[in-house]
Amino acid sequence: MATESTVTAPPTAVERPRPPGSGLSIGLARAGWYISLTLLAVVVLFPIYMLVIRAISDPISFINAGQPLHIVSAQWDVFSRAWSDAGLARAMGVSAVATIVIMGAQFMTSVLGAYAFAFLEFPLKKLLFAIVIGTLLLPIEVTLVANIQTVRSLGWLNSVQGLTFPFLATALGIFLIRQGFLGLPRDLRDAATLDGFGHIGFLFKVAIPLAKPVIGSFLVISFLSAWNQYVWPRNATTEGAWQTVQIALRTLTTTRVDQINLAFAGAIIAALPLVLLLIFFQRQMVRGLTAGAVKG
Amino acid sequence: MSGVTFDEVTKRFGDTTAVENMSLEVADGEFMVLLGPSGCGKSTALRMIAGLEEVSDGMLSIGNRVVNNIPPRERDIAMVFQSYALYPHMSVRKNIESPLVANRANRLPAGERSERIDEAAEVLGLTDYLDRKPGELSGGQRQRVALARAIVRRPEVFLMDEPLSNLDAKLRTQTRLELVELHRRLRTTFVYVTHDQVEAMTMADRIAIINDGHVQQVGRPQEVYDRPANLFVARFIGSPPMNTISGTVGTSGTGGNVATEAGVVAVAELSGSRAGDEVVLGVRPEYLKPRDPSKDDPGAGGLRARVENIEMLGHERHLLTRVGNEVMVARLDPALPPPSIGDEVVLEADAANVYLFDPSTTERLGSGTSTPTATVVADG
Amino acid sequence: MSITVESSPDGATKRTGQRVREALLGWAFLLPAMAIFVTFFYYPLYRLIDMSLHRENRFGTAAPYVGPSQLVDTLSGSDFLEGVKHSGLYMVYTVPLGILLGILLAVAANRRLKGIRVFQTIFSSTVATSVAVASVIFFTLVNPEVGYFKDVSWLSLSNPDTALFSVSLSSVWQNLGLTFIIVLASLQAIPTEVEEAAALDGYGPVRHFLRITVPLISPALMFLAVVLVVAALQAYAQIEVLTNGGPGTSTQTLLFKIADPQGIRPLGIRASMSIGLFALTAIVAAGQYALLSKRVHYGD
Repeated sequence: MATESTVTAPPTAVERPRPPGSGLSIGLARAGWYISLTLLAVVVLFPIYMLVIRAISDPISFINAGQPLHIVSAQWDVFSRAWSDAGLARAMGVSAVATIVIMGAQFMTSVLGAYAFAFLEFPLKKLLFAIVIGTLLLPIEVTLVANIQTVRSLGWLNSVQGLTFPFLATALGIFLIRQGFLGLPRDLRDAATLDGFGHIGFLFKVAIPLAKPVIGSFLVISFLSAWNQYVWPRNATTEGAWQTVQIALRTLTTTRVDQINLAFAGAIIAALPLVLLLIFFQRQMVRGLTAGAVKG
Repeated sequence: MSGVTFDEVTKRFGDTTAVENMSLEVADGEFMVLLGPSGCGKSTALRMIAGLEEVSDGMLSIGNRVVNNIPPRERDIAMVFQSYALYPHMSVRKNIESPLVANRANRLPAGERSERIDEAAEVLGLTDYLDRKPGELSGGQRQRVALARAIVRRPEVFLMDEPLSNLDAKLRTQTRLELVELHRRLRTTFVYVTHDQVEAMTMADRIAIINDGHVQQVGRPQEVYDRPANLFVARFIGSPPMNTISGTVGTSGTGGNVATEAGVVAVAELSGSRAGDEVVLGVRPEYLKPRDPSKDDPGAGGLRARVENIEMLGHERHLLTRVGNEVMVARLDPALPPPSIGDEVVLEADAANVYLFDPSTTERLGSGTSTPTATVVADG
Repeated sequence: MSITVESSPDGATKRTGQRVREALLGWAFLLPAMAIFVTFFYYPLYRLIDMSLHRENRFGTAAPYVGPSQLVDTLSGSDFLEGVKHSGLYMVYTVPLGILLGILLAVAANRRLKGIRVFQTIFSSTVATSVAVASVIFFTLVNPEVGYFKDVSWLSLSNPDTALFSVSLSSVWQNLGLTFIIVLASLQAIPTEVEEAAALDGYGPVRHFLRITVPLISPALMFLAVVLVVAALQAYAQIEVLTNGGPGTSTQTLLFKIADPQGIRPLGIRASMSIGLFALTAIVAAGQYALLSKRVHYGD
């Protein structure tokens, strides 16, 4: 029997066997392949490389040196200056709080909503489901103007509530987790009923533990979208103190040219949480990003 | 302890009726097997006992209690599922403990719980595996965990839904014996659903054969084999199944005969049918033999047949023949020289072991009265 | 005689009680999500319509009801149409190029080679950038004052004819990681038997790719197309960081005009434009639905 719920397994990097050919041509083909891969890697990495050397180089010296491909007049303290003097520490804190609130709330609203749609019978179920689906047509970009008015009239501009409230529930989470719940074998649900689990017990003791892979993938997506938000926090904050890190980055790009490497260092700092996520949760990240795109 | 009673129970899913007016009594302590092809309603019947399906009509009782509206966890039953339905994220111990703790309202004290778990694990030989996860166990071990989870709650009734069908053939034979042993030890009512007649024949006190949402016959294994109530039971029980061919009754001397398109078959007992009646004649493979060609007697009757295939099974041979439009199987002694494929043979039926069925109702003629003397048990 | 269960008074109440409890639980579980959806998804739609029906005076002190005239004027006005044009161009620049590069990277990295994991990680790396971070990264490349490529004419942010394209490259680059991951995953989901059967059938590499691989990964490509189209409609941070809408209005997409960081458009007009964006979103969604319900690959 399945030891995990029937969630789409993450694609593993299994390479297929190639038909054999002569040794020499294989060697040449392989060398050609490595050269192509390396060229592509250079194209992908070049912008990041530029960011790093530009962050560390003194901006004016770098331009005067004719924009070389290496560091000029290194300023290693640029990261600490960006962190403290340029206010990134506070911005990272605001981002962290907003992200944690959004993730926690989305976990709760999605799991409960998914459970209701997967396992409970109640009047108006179809209508309520349609309401959930309908939100996909109303992304924050469309409703931005009106929502800012709402948040303003609630007095929530420049507040954690203002930054987070429109995102405390999401149709995507309800869908994904509902799919995970529906994938639980019927026998298992029946066995739980006979064991005497009520709905709450079944939800916490059986359904959530078994849907962990889907929930994990969803939380990764939730983290990414919350941390990376731009349009909403840009409009929901008017004071520098409530800027999230993404907004603070833009503010830094508007500083004087001789300070511009603070923005570049800030971008590196702002990306660090995602780099860590990519390193430690690669599986969940790939599964989350490919959810809905790939079968099997 | 208590039995289970279906009193004209019906289960409808929308427009389809899965179980119709079913009446069946499972006695206290009995091992009852519900046997039938897939989709016949046997699993629905079992799930109604469990409370996983609501009863649409009629009355369902466990012991003296009508349980139509009693939620599953208050029915004092335990169920073993085909897929075992173990919780993959819990250890074996937690799995077995689950029914004792899931319902907060009647949770047992911890001491008694662990006593019961240890006892169930002991009975099923799981003591060494209590801290493993189901994923680390073999199929047979998982099956025993499912059984342990059932016996730990000491229910009035055990329900089992095809619990052996995920095991390999060897393990299945062994587990059959263990289940019979378990039943003997617990002396509790078992209701066991399967489509496998061998499981039914080897384990059941009584078998209820179900088709199309209706109980076709209830009886001890030997009884349903020897005295099938109708054509469905006759063809469903026994492997290979009973041969049937339609014909017309004629009389001769004390017994009678049935004239078919392929020849005339002598019948010892006409079971109330009269000359000229249309009947379906049935004979089990073990009572059908090709006549020795050297002793050929053109006047003696028999069914003209052509050999299409011969299946060697080691301890016996099955002769597959075509008789008119029907395929008929005869069971041969492997010691005798077999005919060759393509041979024309004459099949003789043992007159004392021929069944007659009413072609319109499919009921066996003389059901309940006639007692053919067959004693062969279906092979395992 | 058969007993109808529903008529048994004890049973009827017991079962009704259970149903009521289940219904209450279902509604309770959905209440938090529904509160958010109504307040921040549906109520604002009503508000947008309401705002579009009121025209603010020059000082923003009063907004009398004017009927649909403002909505009609806005949606047929040059400002809105320019926004639609720029958003459409942004799609044209980013979607096909993004998918092609994703396929290129994925096919290159879908090989049994030593160290391929390193390349796969490099190609996925841009998923670790937010739009804002990617925009700052491209700032180092194309900014007219300090950018590495500031003198490359076809990447110039100072030229109204090239600025939008130059900005769009930051999106293409930022989306590489996602497109690569999705195409690679779909390539690896192709059953080995299918590959082997095709090899036995004697397809050459190019025909194999076009006849076997592309049809089999078409659902993933479809999905990507939808994701990239939506991303293009929602492009904003890149523009604000790299050009702030300029030079002139040459990089003002529809969303940029709606968000209106310089505060030059009255609320009623921005609301009207939002309704236009909603219509475009709905068209994209309808197209997505139509394409997804069409057969884009054989079987499952």
